[in-house]
Amino acid sequence: MIIRGTRLTIEKRLVPSSSAYLLIPIFSIFMALLVGSIFLYFSGHEPVAVYYKMFKGAFGSRYGITETIVKAIPLTLVGLGVALAFRMQLWNIGGEGQLYMGAFAATWVALTFPEGSVWWVMPAMIALGMLAGGLWALLTAIPKAIWGVNEIITTLMLNYVAILWVDYLVYGPWKDPAGFNFPLTAVFSDAATLPGLFDSRVHAGLFFGIVAAIILYLVVYHTRWGYEIRVTGENPGAARYAGMNTTRNIMLVMLFSGALCGLAGMSEVSGIGHRLQHGLSPGYGYTAIIVAWLSRLNPFAVILVAILFGGLQVGGFIVQTSGIPSSMVYMLQGLLLFFVLGGELLTGYRLNRVPATGEATK
Amino acid sequence: MSVPLLVEMVNITKKFPGVVANDQVNFNVREGEIHVLLGENGSGKSTLMSVLSGLYKPDEGDILVGGIKYNLRSPRDAIKAGIGMVHQHFKLIDSFSVAENVILGGDGTPMILNKKDIENNLAQLSERYGLRINLSAMVWQLSVGEKQRVEIIKMLYRGSQVLVLDEPTAVLTPQEAEELFDNLRRMAAAGRGIVVITHKLNEVMAIADRVTVLRRGKAVATLEKQAVNQRDLAWLMVGQDVVFQSRKKNPPDSAKVLELKKVNCLSDLGLAGLTDIDFSVYKGEIFGIAGVAGNGQRELAEVVAGLRAVNGGQLLINGTDVTGLSPRRIMDRGVALVPEDRLGTGLIPNLDAVDNLILKDYRRALLRRGPFVNRRVARSNAQQMVERFEVSLRSLDAPVKLMSGGNLQRLLLAREITSQPHLLIAVYPVRGLDIKATKAVHDLLLEQREQGMAILLISEDLEEIFKLSDRIGVLCGGRLTGILPAEAADIEEIGLLMMGTDRTGETAS
Amino acid sequence: MKKIDKKTLWALVVTLMMALVLAGCGGSGGEEDSQAGQGEEEKFKVAFVYITSAGDAGWTYAHDLGRQYLQDQLPWVDASEIVENVPENPADAEQVITQLAEQGNKVIFTTSFGYMDPTINVAQKYPDVTFVHCSGYKTADNVGAYFGRMYQARYLSGLVAGQATESNIIGYVGAHPIPEVIRGINAFTVGVRAANPDAKVKVVWTNSWFDPTVEKQSAEVLLDAGADVIAQHMDSPAPMQAAEERGKLGVGYNSDMREQAPGAVMTSPMWEWGPYYVETVQAIKDGTFDPTPTAGSLTYWGGLKEGLVKISDYGPMVPEETKQLVEQEKARIVSGEWDVFDGLLKDQNGEVKVAEGQKMTDDEMLAMDWFVEGVEGKITAPKF
Repeated sequence: MIIRGTRLTIEKRLVPSSSAYLLIPIFSIFMALLVGSIFLYFSGHEPVAVYYKMFKGAFGSRYGITETIVKAIPLTLVGLGVALAFRMQLWNIGGEGQLYMGAFAATWVALTFPEGSVWWVMPAMIALGMLAGGLWALLTAIPKAIWGVNEIITTLMLNYVAILWVDYLVYGPWKDPAGFNFPLTAVFSDAATLPGLFDSRVHAGLFFGIVAAIILYLVVYHTRWGYEIRVTGENPGAARYAGMNTTRNIMLVMLFSGALCGLAGMSEVSGIGHRLQHGLSPGYGYTAIIVAWLSRLNPFAVILVAILFGGLQVGGFIVQTSGIPSSMVYMLQGLLLFFVLGGELLTGYRLNRVPATGEATK
Repeated sequence: MSVPLLVEMVNITKKFPGVVANDQVNFNVREGEIHVLLGENGSGKSTLMSVLSGLYKPDEGDILVGGIKYNLRSPRDAIKAGIGMVHQHFKLIDSFSVAENVILGGDGTPMILNKKDIENNLAQLSERYGLRINLSAMVWQLSVGEKQRVEIIKMLYRGSQVLVLDEPTAVLTPQEAEELFDNLRRMAAAGRGIVVITHKLNEVMAIADRVTVLRRGKAVATLEKQAVNQRDLAWLMVGQDVVFQSRKKNPPDSAKVLELKKVNCLSDLGLAGLTDIDFSVYKGEIFGIAGVAGNGQRELAEVVAGLRAVNGGQLLINGTDVTGLSPRRIMDRGVALVPEDRLGTGLIPNLDAVDNLILKDYRRALLRRGPFVNRRVARSNAQQMVERFEVSLRSLDAPVKLMSGGNLQRLLLAREITSQPHLLIAVYPVRGLDIKATKAVHDLLLEQREQGMAILLISEDLEEIFKLSDRIGVLCGGRLTGILPAEAADIEEIGLLMMGTDRTGETAS
Repeated sequence: MKKIDKKTLWALVVTLMMALVLAGCGGSGGEEDSQAGQGEEEKFKVAFVYITSAGDAGWTYAHDLGRQYLQDQLPWVDASEIVENVPENPADAEQVITQLAEQGNKVIFTTSFGYMDPTINVAQKYPDVTFVHCSGYKTADNVGAYFGRMYQARYLSGLVAGQATESNIIGYVGAHPIPEVIRGINAFTVGVRAANPDAKVKVVWTNSWFDPTVEKQSAEVLLDAGADVIAQHMDSPAPMQAAEERGKLGVGYNSDMREQAPGAVMTSPMWEWGPYYVETVQAIKDGTFDPTPTAGSLTYWGGLKEGLVKISDYGPMVPEETKQLVEQEKARIVSGEWDVFDGLLKDQNGEVKVAEGQKMTDDEMLAMDWFVEGVEGKITAPKF
């Protein structure tokens, strides 16, 4: 009657061991590369060589590193923004739209005051870019805070609105008069252009990312408001019980979350594109969600993971020139995500072997 | 015995870590009867029925269905054996229709559904027992009572001979409950066996053919309804083993710390939660609230702490009207709450001890440094509290979820008491604690009383109430059915009040 | 292999840290990662940047056929480095183009409009590399701009469509409301109305170059609105397949789309980049390449005459008389006697844009932002 043997159960870990925090992501990356190498091998490529080339392309030269950082800047800023919201269990999926709105507002400043001095144009672009991103996010925070409207849906939907709004502008009223009717705004003046660094495309947005991470760290871990955010995120019941104003905090957190995403948009148009255009972001707003998640919402880890993802993108384009089809590159990136997120589960849970008899529960 | 047994549970024992939930329990269901399983919360009723429905595997004992021994390893096995359970929390899919929900997961469901046939079958089934329901309605459109009917139809459709209902009236209005009872009687009359889990005595008298009383995991009696009255049942439920202990007299002090005047509020379901509650708690007094859980205790604690809106009446703290103030304002006036749900409300499991200990104080000047929390002060305060209240923990930096229940409660009390409140509300303060931890918590509460704190103690453990309280109020159905000075109260009378026999209010004190 | 992988992995983690430090210091340790020099003889490296995968139809496919032709014709060329699916945002495109320059390519063809600014930016840093950008309007000392007079082939296909329609409604699935697409729609409409003055061309925008689902849906919208011929300025054959499913006709684009929808496609305006690529690479090698604009802002704007654009072979449903009409009109254009946008030309409101006997300049054509008479649709940005 009693079946002898064992079965596997998934149990929640009480304390994820500290070594697991480090080892599991590394093991996950290893597994992804391993599985990827099977596909590469059977499609006639030398896996080690491909990985080496990818890695070398992204990190192996000064140029590769700077390009990786170029992509890491918006990923960091949006990653920090959504991480702040996630900290309070607010699922801000709207980083992409908030980025676009930030780019829109910054562009408005640049186009309206082409003769302006750098001393006020640049601060105005930063301020309005952040404000626009923040207000865009606030648009979803108000119904969330007051009526409990699901912010996942509203933030996601507003992404499309923001992207189409920018499209409308660049195809219509903001089209560069000297641009043969192509969907591009005029190029920004020097005053509206973020200075480049290290004689490369890396721009001053890098400092925004680093400063934002430091401020966010201090805010979340050391201020009273950050304490409220952490408590509310971990246990909303306790926040209510301690008399915290959750309604106000939802709005504030979304405002700042959106502001960081808006700053990403501002630094993208001002530091890289020097003009607003269709297809401004290759989905930074979405990739950053994964960045925030993988870094476990730790602001400094966001920077590191953003660099990793920037590198993945740079390396991905590079191996194409050696004949790896782009679909294979996407597959590798997908595998990496799959395993890292799967590994995430193992950090919080563990597999346990239990005898399949009544004694199992001891 | 002339009536055959549908199901028989013999010497069932089920242990959980630290608790014997069922201890050598015998229980059976006859054909065509309604058998009520009566007991207080935590007496083991739900565990016993979960064993019967295959959710838990008993550590000892046998289950016989139709005289044959069964090894029920899953709810599916139990359903095959003809035992169906309707849980308190319905297991329905909102976006499916009633009919789809009923056939979902059933063994006989064909691959290709003939909607008409199925609906016809179900219509006959529901009509036979008077279970009125629109089969093509979507579940999200239904009221709670209708959802319950869907669950019952589901079990009948799967051929359940024995139907177990876990606290079925908890979510129903009195009219819905009456209709449910009619349906159950009809099903019993058709030869099925019905088990109803409840802690409400009036329900026993209303529908039971037989009743089994559980207390602390043991079946203390199985009786025919004709042979019992409410008083006996109350006695059986509460138990005779309450030890009366001598208490110090409450110090003569007439300062009212808390006063409730005709306070009303709504429950989570939007029904009446508290009705016309009228009482006061004085300085240096422990006011105990007795009652079976679910009769308004949680609502009362939340209303006093400002966490639940008052819907009529007045709430006064130290003579000032605080009705409608935010929890934070009420907190600032010196009200502290040790909530029922320690990890769910009172503490933040994933944060460390320091963060947990500043939950009420982080805004205070002492811990302020500009916009920042002064971590150094917070830490040294935490260290002091941990030492003073003898909380044992590995490190101030470890998440508190790693601590034992007793230590968590000490941590919580440390925080609430250190804030030097005028009024401390303690809800089930020793639930789940072992004897040593219980004593420590009780000593703490008595010590605070000596120092002049007013304490509102809410507990379903009468022993605890008697041991600590100066006065005792009894809650039943959201009403205060009586207030007695502890030395004048006797357990039998309290038991009756708990069952709803009303007595005069404040005059009793 | 396992061991190597793990080493790579650790290297990855370590370098990640170092990357920050290095970038922070702005160290000038960047070593040239030149891959030239490997192999027995150094070949002349030519690279291509594509907006989508080459696949087997569409814009990129046409360019890739040209690349293969180049490789076949000039054995001293190595045209193997291609990068597909490069988004048009400045961050990605500029990185890819720089990388290709860095890898020792002598010529880089960037084949989508959005690569214009990145191409110009990269070109400033690599004066020894020649860049040739398709469909834009900027040139530099080492940047040429090239395109084709697709409008001429569009006009011919419009004649075919105009003769075929019975409902007098022709649907046109357009990508983005930019001059290139607008010019195509106008030329097509001029052709349609030349063959059938009563016919109208309805336009739907997809706001994408390549999105088979939306392309198909857009075609279905047009078919529902009564169109019996579907034309397209899109990269996938999905609009043609939509027409075929409904038993209607179509005019493809970019490559011969009869392969994907034989029942519907009457003909497709097509690109023939190969000879131009051969000619250009040869000129660059010989040092005779001159990027100075010759046609409007473009270095090179070839049409029917040069063979850069053409219409594909006909499907069986196209009658002989139509073919004759097309031949006749084609001869007029090739001879230079007439071009598509010669007057008299009116816009949608009936206003005369080009007077009788007048011609549009190349610049005017390249910046076209109005619809000719007979087009039903608006040049606006996206559906809101």
